[in-house]
Amino acid sequence: MPVRTIEVKKNILERNDRLAEEVRGRLQDAGVTAFNLISSPGSGKTTLLERTLQELDEDIPIAVITGDPRTLNDAERLARWTNRVVPAVVAGEGGCHLDAAQIAAALDAIDLDEVRLVFIENVGNLVCPAEFDLGEEAKIVVFSVTEGEDKPLKYPLAFREARYAILNKIDLLPYLDFDLPLAIANVRSVNPELNVFMTAAKTGDGLEPWFRFLRERSSALVA
Amino acid sequence: MSVALEVCRLAEEQVGAEALPRVTGMGLEVGNRSGVVADNLAFCLDTLLTHPPFRAARTVIRRTDDSALRLEWLELDDPELENANTP
Repeated sequence: MPVRTIEVKKNILERNDRLAEEVRGRLQDAGVTAFNLISSPGSGKTTLLERTLQELDEDIPIAVITGDPRTLNDAERLARWTNRVVPAVVAGEGGCHLDAAQIAAALDAIDLDEVRLVFIENVGNLVCPAEFDLGEEAKIVVFSVTEGEDKPLKYPLAFREARYAILNKIDLLPYLDFDLPLAIANVRSVNPELNVFMTAAKTGDGLEPWFRFLRERSSALVA
Repeated sequence: MSVALEVCRLAEEQVGAEALPRVTGMGLEVGNRSGVVADNLAFCLDTLLTHPPFRAARTVIRRTDDSALRLEWLELDDPELENANTP
């Protein structure tokens, strides 16, 4: 059968990028800043957010958009600390990332006049979430000392796309062979500009600089 | 896989859902700074394009030295062309 060739020449992520700009505009108009947390499963994103909500939510109203292929486990944990949790629908068990259309829909369920910060807790995966602009101010990559020092080298895009990194579970350092200077060197080799917080969300160690950063970010927005 | 799914969505946008079984080829441009590994994308597309609504469409990926990530062309069976060529 004869074939016909159709010229397309379209950016594959064009639709997502357009929607992400719309999301960014909505957030900026409302004076709200959004951070997109990306990590592998089990790095401690939800515990970090629980601690953050406990510490800051009274002073800085926070909303959280969660993404999980199955269960509302994370959303239910976070809902103990705030009533502004919106579980984004991730398409079935194969869902590997959130996209800008899902964030736009989730924002419809949030009164942006009542919040200063939005956290997007992305699907646990260091590959696909790094490729998608969600309209956030910055991506924050979370990794933990139980994952190995070479995470930045194995998943360079996630560390390159992020503006901040959180190295979590530092309370476990005495029990592991984790080489902290090497891990930081690996981060720097991929992204020399990356600001790194070192935290133990479980015990609360090291969280004060993270809280101070968020307070400063929200003050900057109000000003 | 997410990027491969987006390619399929773009193809549907271009030719319509009913024409997807007639798609025989896709041409893509993948830059080495796009954040997408061309071989991985090819693997995911091969998986998707051998299942309905597609029928074993081929992918042709051109690697470039930039951040391009584009669907360049689609190729599809065109029965109207065959009819036009029939005397």
